[in-house]
Formats: sequence, C-alpha cells, structure tokens
Amino acid sequence: MEFLLQPLTLMTFFPLVGVLVILFMNPEQKSAIRWTALVTSLITFVISLWVFSKFESSNPDLQLDAKYAWIQVAGWNIYYYLAVDGLSILLVLLTTFLTPISILSTWTAVEDRVKDFMIFFLLLEVGMSGVFLAQDLFLFYIFWEFTLVPMYFLIGIWGGPRRLYAAVKFFLYTMAGSILMLLAILWLGIKTASFNMPEMLARLPDLYASGAIDPRTQMLLFIAFAAAFAIKVPMWPLHSWLPDAHVEAPTAGSIILAGVLLKMGTYGFLRFNLSLFPQAAVDAAPTIALLATIGIIYGAAVSYAQTDVKKLVAYSSVSHLGFVMLGLFALNPEGIAGALLQMINHGISTGALFLLVGMIYEQTHTREIKVYGGLWKITPLYGIIMLIVALSSMGLPGLNGFVGEFTILLGAFGSKAIGSPWYAGISALGVIMAAVYILYMFQKMFLGPQGEIIEDAKKHGHPIRDLNWREIITVLPLLIFIFWIGLYPAPFFNIMAPAIDKIIALLPL
Amino acid sequence: MLEYVAIALMIVVSTFVALSAIGMGELLGPKKKSKAKDVPYESGMLPYGEGTRRIPVRFYLIAVLFILFDIEVIFFLPWAVVFRQLRIFGLIEMAVFIGILLVGYAYAWKKGALEWE
Amino acid sequence: MPQPLDFATLQPVIVLSVWTCVLLLLDVFLIKRKSITAVLTAFGLALTLGLTFMQVGASNDGFSGMVVQDGFSTFINALQLVGGLLGVAVAHAYIKRTGSERGEYYTLLLFSVIGMMLMAQSNDLIMVFIALELLSIPLYVLAAFTRNTESEEAGIKYFLLGAFSTGFVVYGIALVYGATASTNLHEIVAFASSSSPSLLLTIGAALILVGFAFKVAVVPFHMWTPDVYQGAPTAVTAFMSSGAKVAGFAALLRVFSVAFPNISMDMAPVLAAISALTMIVGNIVAVSQTNIKRMLAYSSIAHAGYILMAFVPYGDAQVSADAIASGLFYLVAYMLTNFGAWAVVIALETKSGSGLELSDYSGLAKKYPAIAAAMTIFMLSLIGFPPTLGMVGKFYLFRAALQGGYTTLALIGVITSLVSAFYYLRVIVNMYMREGDPTPARDLWLDLTWSITAIATVVVSLAPQFLFVLASTAVMLK
Repeated sequence: MEFLLQPLTLMTFFPLVGVLVILFMNPEQKSAIRWTALVTSLITFVISLWVFSKFESSNPDLQLDAKYAWIQVAGWNIYYYLAVDGLSILLVLLTTFLTPISILSTWTAVEDRVKDFMIFFLLLEVGMSGVFLAQDLFLFYIFWEFTLVPMYFLIGIWGGPRRLYAAVKFFLYTMAGSILMLLAILWLGIKTASFNMPEMLARLPDLYASGAIDPRTQMLLFIAFAAAFAIKVPMWPLHSWLPDAHVEAPTAGSIILAGVLLKMGTYGFLRFNLSLFPQAAVDAAPTIALLATIGIIYGAAVSYAQTDVKKLVAYSSVSHLGFVMLGLFALNPEGIAGALLQMINHGISTGALFLLVGMIYEQTHTREIKVYGGLWKITPLYGIIMLIVALSSMGLPGLNGFVGEFTILLGAFGSKAIGSPWYAGISALGVIMAAVYILYMFQKMFLGPQGEIIEDAKKHGHPIRDLNWREIITVLPLLIFIFWIGLYPAPFFNIMAPAIDKIIALLPL
Repeated sequence: MLEYVAIALMIVVSTFVALSAIGMGELLGPKKKSKAKDVPYESGMLPYGEGTRRIPVRFYLIAVLFILFDIEVIFFLPWAVVFRQLRIFGLIEMAVFIGILLVGYAYAWKKGALEWE
Repeated sequence: MPQPLDFATLQPVIVLSVWTCVLLLLDVFLIKRKSITAVLTAFGLALTLGLTFMQVGASNDGFSGMVVQDGFSTFINALQLVGGLLGVAVAHAYIKRTGSERGEYYTLLLFSVIGMMLMAQSNDLIMVFIALELLSIPLYVLAAFTRNTESEEAGIKYFLLGAFSTGFVVYGIALVYGATASTNLHEIVAFASSSSPSLLLTIGAALILVGFAFKVAVVPFHMWTPDVYQGAPTAVTAFMSSGAKVAGFAALLRVFSVAFPNISMDMAPVLAAISALTMIVGNIVAVSQTNIKRMLAYSSIAHAGYILMAFVPYGDAQVSADAIASGLFYLVAYMLTNFGAWAVVIALETKSGSGLELSDYSGLAKKYPAIAAAMTIFMLSLIGFPPTLGMVGKFYLFRAALQGGYTTLALIGVITSLVSAFYYLRVIVNMYMREGDPTPARDLWLDLTWSITAIATVVVSLAPQFLFVLASTAVMLK
C-alpha cells in the first residue's frame, strides 16, 4: 500500500484504475465510458495538483522520491525510481492538464470504438507521466517506448484516410531513434554500474576525468541519446514523420502529440543530454543551434505554403520547437528557462490550435484553407478565440508565446556556447514569419468573402454553428493560461530556476 | 604415419583393379548391337509392362519391423560376452532393454502391423 | 555398477520415459477418448516438472560422467516441460479440428520432450547424439502428422535435412574424438588445455556447430525452416519452433562452454558472423511474407540470431556467465511469446487449413478484443517493446554483447529489431485498423494457452527479478 500511495506513483498509475473500470464496461455505453475516462483524468489532474502542493520550488534537487529496488541481480542495478524537480514539474502538470481537455474534445468527435479509444488514451497518459518522472534510465526507457504503442493505435484506428501509413511511419521513425538510445543506456549502465540518474551523475565526472570514457565516446553517447530525442522533438531534418502523424491523427491525438509527446524529446535533451554528457553538450551546441535555426526558418516557410490547416499547424510546430532547441543549447539560464517555458507555451497554444481546428473539422470534415472564408460573421466567438490563440502562437507581446520566445532569443544572443549572435538574429526572423503564416491562415479562414463550405454546409442541412458550451469549457482553461503566462510569467520561472541553475553548474563553460 | 601408407596403397590398388576390370571390358570387348541383343532377356521371352514394379507397402513395414526387432537382438551378443563381469546389473539392464522392445512389440501388434491382410 | 545417485541425476527423465511407455500401451489398449490421453500426457509432464523442481540446488554427474545434472540442466528441463505442456494444450483442439486425432501425437511429443531433456543433461558427445536423435525422430513424424501433401512434404524435408545435419554432428564428434581421444566433455577440455592447439579439434567443433546450426535454424543453415514450419501442422510448428530450438541451444551452450573454451578465439568470430547474418536475413526476408506461418518461421530464424548473440563471448571468462544467463533468459521470453503467438495462429486457422494469411487477421480486434490484445502483446514482445518480456530479454542480450565488446553486433541487433517492427506491426495493423470478419475457434485449452502466456509475458516483464535470479544461477555448469 505504501508503494501505491506515494504521490508520484499514485499520479502516474491512477489512469490505470480508469482503464480497468472501462475494460469491464459494455462498449455500447459510450457516454458512461466517456464520463469514466474524463473523471479518471480529472482525478489524476487533482492528484497532480496535490503533488504540486507538496513540491518545494526553492529546492533544486529531485523531490518526492518513490524509490524501490527493482532488479538487483546479475549486475543489474535497476530501481523503480520516480521523482520530480523543477525541470519536470510543469511538464507533468501540462500532461495531466491536457489529458482531460483532449478527452473532452473527443466527446462527439469519436463515435467509433469509444471504449478502445479511452483505454488507449489513459494508457498514453500513464506513459507520458512516467517519462517525465522516471529517474532510472531503464524505467525511463520503458515509459519512453511505451508511449509509442497507444499513440500508434490512436493514429492508426481513429485517424484520417492515410492513417495506416502515418501510424507505421510514426512508430518506426521514433523507434529508430530510441534503439540507439537503448544501446547508449546499456553502455552507460555497464560503465557506471547503475541506471539511476543521481548515481550516474555522481560517477560520471570521475570516469570523464580519468579518461575511462574519452571525449569521442562521450560525443557518441550524446549522439545516440540525441538521435532518440531529436526525432521526437522533431528537429530538422528528422521531422518528416510529424506532418503525417499530425494530419492523420484524430484531434485529441494531435493535441497530445503536439502538447506533450514532442516535449518528451526536448525534455530528454534537457534532463539527460545536458547533465550526462556536459562536455559533448557544449561541443555540440553550435551544431544544434544551426539545425534549430534551420528548423525555425524551414518550418515557418513550409507552414506558409500549406493548404491544409492542420499541416500548417504541424509545420509551425517544427518552427516553434526549433526555438526550444535553440534556447536549450544556449546553455545559459535565460535560454534554458525560456525553452522550458516555451515547451509549456507550445503545449498550450498549439494544443489549443489543434483543438480549434478539430472543432471546425468536426462540422465540415475538411481542412482545406481555401474552402473556408468569412467565418467571423457566422461564428464570432470561435473567431475571437481562434484569434487569441493564433496571436499567442505567433508571439504577440502580452500573450504566452512572446515571453518564451523573447527569453530564448535573449539567451541565444548572449550564449557563449553557441558562440555567435547570428543564430539568434536569424531565428528572430522566424517570429516575423510566424506572424505571416498565422495571419494568412486567419485571414483566409475568417475574413473576406464567405467560403464555399458555408453554403455547402447549409445545403446539407448542417449550417456551421458557433461553439457550444462543452467546447467553450474545453478551450477556456487553455485561454486562461495563455493570458496568465503572457502577463505574469514570474511564478513559472521561479519554479524552474533552481533546477536550471543546477544543470548549468554541471556544464564546463 | 608409415603404417597408414600400406592402407592407402591398398585402397589405391584395389580401386585400380576394380576400375580396370570394368574399364577393360568396356574398352577392349567387341560390341555388336542388334535388336535381339538389346532386349532384357535373350531367352526369347518378350518383356511386357513397366521395367520397375510396385512392391506392396506391407513389405516396407515388414522390413522396418525386421530392422527394429531383429537387429536389436544383435545387442544380445556383446552383452552375452561380458555377462559374467556385469553380473546382476547386466541382467537388470537387459530386462529394461527387452522391456522397451516389448512395449514397441505390443504396440505394433495392437496396431495390426503384424497382420498381412 | 551404477549407484542410486546415478538414477537420481536422471530421475525426471526416467520417470517420464516410463510414463510415456505406459501411456503408449494404455492409449492403444484402453483409452477410447483421446482427450484422456491428452490429460494423462499433461499429468506426466506436470509430474516430471515437479520432480525437476525437486532437483533445484542439486548438482551431480552420473553414469560414469555420461550425464550431468546441474542448475543449467534443471532450468532447461523445466523450460522444456513447460513447453511440452503448452504443446499439448495447443495440440488438443487442433488435431481434433483437422481430423487427425490419434493418441500417438501425445506419445511422440513426450518422446521428443525426453530427448530435449536429455540434451540439456548430456555430458558426453555420444549422449548428445543420442538425445539429438531422440528429440528429432518424433518431430519428423509429427511434422507429417496430418498426412496431407504439405504436411508430408514438411515431414520428408525435415527428415532429410535433419539426417543431413546429424551427419555433420557425428562427423564432428568423430574428429573431436580423433583429436582428444575422448567424447567426455571434461576430458576433451582437459586434453585440449594440456596439449598444443589442434586443427582437428577446431574442425570437429566447427562441424558440430554446423550440425546444431541446422537444428536451431540459423543462417546459412536455415533453408528448410520456412517450408517445414509452414507445411507442418501448426500445433507441431509451435512445439518444435520452441522446444527444438531451446534444446539445440542448450546442447550448444554446454558443449561449447565446457568442452571448447580453448578454441573460443577461433569460434567467436564465426559465431558473431552467423549471429549477425541470421538477424539480418531472418528479419529482412520476413518483411515480404504474407502468410503468417511463414512470417513467424522467419521470425524464429531471426530470434535464433538474437539468442546466438548471447553465445558469442562464451570463451571470455569475465562475461560468459552473464552472457549465457542472458541467453537463457531470452529463451524463456522467446518460448512464452512464441507459443502464445502460435496459439493465436492455431485459433484462427480454419478446418480446411485456410485463415493463415495476414489479411485473415483483419478486424479481429473488433469482435474478439481479448485475442487481438494477446496477439498484440506477443508481437510487441517479439519486437522487443515494453512492457513485455521480449524487451527485458533484449535489454539483457544487448548488454551481454556490449560487455563482451561486440558493439557492432549489438548495433546490428537493434537495427534488425527495427526492421522486425515493420512486419510484426502489420499483424497489429490488420487486427485493429482494417475491416474483416474472422472467426477464431474457441477451445478452453487454447484460450488458456494464449491468455496465460500473454499475461505472463507482461507480468514477468514487470517483475523479472526471479527470472534473472534463476537464469543467472542456472549457468553454473558443472
């Protein structure tokens, strides 16, 4: 019992209770299943708030440890070890926060095999929380790989027309990265005789200093970890799975994919690459900054060229996550803090974008930008909310996106590790380009003459309606955070600052 | 090594003799072909039907049973030679051996393998 | 003159042999309903399993060093007996459905299990040979058991190739005897350590390796596998793809670790090459298969490559114990997963032998979510994905390879795992993401097989400690 009542264990595995309950429900009782899933995810969110209340933000170390010996034979030194610190607490909250929202978004969108859908979704939540909390690399790897399975089903069963292709591509791409990480984890495990982070961090400096692990090997290990994370982020040029997965995924899948799964990649860089391989991180910083910059510009440019609104948002993710990577590898407090905040921002803003796109798609069943137009007059509320979210995504001052991107650029300009202000300078162009494609999309869809789809919908007897109460409730929490982070980001920065300082202290700068 | 040379020599010589006996007949012997000579039997009987005949599958069964039971009995011979040294243990071992054979025999009998029709 | 201790070393094998002989007669003389034979077979196996567990911790050799009983043999024997039980469970409904229900199926299976157990206990090359024949001959018969064209073709093919490979083993044994004047494993190593390196010994060992390579189906000695696995009755395929493989690896492990550590420098590169080749060829060829039996056949070839990986550093004293333990661990993972997957295949196979194409799995998840979920677990385990036993097993295997310094081999291992994901996923795609209307056969024994193996695959992966302990204590070769 003591094991299960650990706050982190309880939070991570609570969705399994919902899974068990749903497992024994009749698949025809769709609304009961939906309510069960929603309530489960809300309780999980409440538990995560309880976790947050116990969290001491002034403490830079791992907290609320749930640590038990797991496999302690044959030279394995594996623990079941969950803990949270300033780097992960916000991401964990983001996960538990976005899950109920996503479930709400499927209320009427998913009618087919609701039971399976909810089971997979709750399993996904377990995996995601686990990734952010696991402090033992073996456990981390299990959670990391496990998240793939439910997401694969979500895309493959409830996705769009090319869902099979997208699902398999998503699975194989991600797995390709993680298998290299697997070898690196094993290698580190052999060298340090441990798999948990604190022990590894304690032993690695000696191994580096004594030359037991030479700089070249350190770089190879860094690359092996980076392969897994860079594909997940995704960094240019490893991003090509993302548009397919996003376009084909159901709305809830897209929200979680953009909101949380991509953050697992950037989080991985922050948690593992920076601290385990500090020298390699410093050496690789310019290269990664270059790739990030290309990603920012490339993502923004390609976004502009899209005719499919979901694809547009998907490519904008490539651009936004380029900023996150740039901030992380600025390797200074501003850059990393900005990056971490931008992870949250992107989760909220892009999650909201996918949510809103999903809401209109549910009515019209098309994502072609050109068939829309003049929506503002018919659906003013939807238009206003979309405008706020769009502005947040392009980084308007006063909204959340601006805070994150500005801090990142600030960090990148002054970064010793990157070594040149040019990356930041060019990246700043990305902000302007974001304004172009976002406003272009908004203008085409909401302003101007009425699009053909509006007439079509009327003809078929389903005129396009504005948001209903459920949809407003779904999107409202996201709006609150858009404004909160935009206007008063200090509490968020305060939570992460001590942990970031601790990471920076490890780096040989 | 030298003692093996004799064996090798033996192999070579015997191979040579055998091959040359066949080869010389082939090479030196007169060959006159005629229709009468090419028939399988030069006795005047005209062969009919296929050259190869099907043998009833029962014969194979009998052959297998023969191998199983008759050949196994050959093991009695070396056993009998050292029977005095093995004493009671040898007797028990042979009882086990025969027991296993009997199980197979009973099985084959019950399955009808010993009946001709 | 044998002592009681001699019989103690072989107690489970002897009991099972007697039981099998009795059952053979009971079956022809008394038993009318073949389900009773099945139950009695299972009882014999369970009884023997109990006796095997009583041997845990003991370690002796018997019959003048011909056989040995140690942690390793106990581990393998227990595994083989579980395999035998699963083999009975999947066969019961299958042979009834295909109209080939005869009591001999079960006795043949038992004889084969006896051979497999002896294989793990052999301490002398002659015993290895006898055990090999005892396990193989019943399998040849079983492969041809349903007596249709494919099945008979499989039986003949398996028999011819089996006989061919046995020839290699015998010739290898002869050469080893020529080099060391002994067939006893301990005397071989004693002789080899005290004399100068002998080419004859290396060639003999290599020939034995080739013979066993046929048995466990590694590239380039794998050609018979797809045809035989596809043609043989599915229940037989399930049994032999697990049991024969485990037995082959058990014998290889014992013979090589005990008798041939001196020539490991010559053998390791060969083993590494075979292992790499097997993983690559098995997985890549499997990608293009559309028949599930053939696909699983290639998958079993690929897995032989993974298991062989554990075996490469066998001569390196520092890591060999760990490596062998990882091999044993993986054998367990493979056995459970493989049997489960085959049980699902058997459930979907129709009376006329159709239902074996990948497309026949379409839509399974909608109507039969439990079977589909079980099959998903097996596929994920075969890929090596959490939370399944296959993942923990691969984790262990790759670590052993890395410890032995075979980084490239481990790299090939993970990359081919990625390739394998491609074709295993296809089964999942069909089950969950395509429409179709399959009707699996339901049978209590079969249902139990796939549900228990599926649950075990997940649960043991979450609490693998005991299996780690078992595997790592089982490597104490006497």
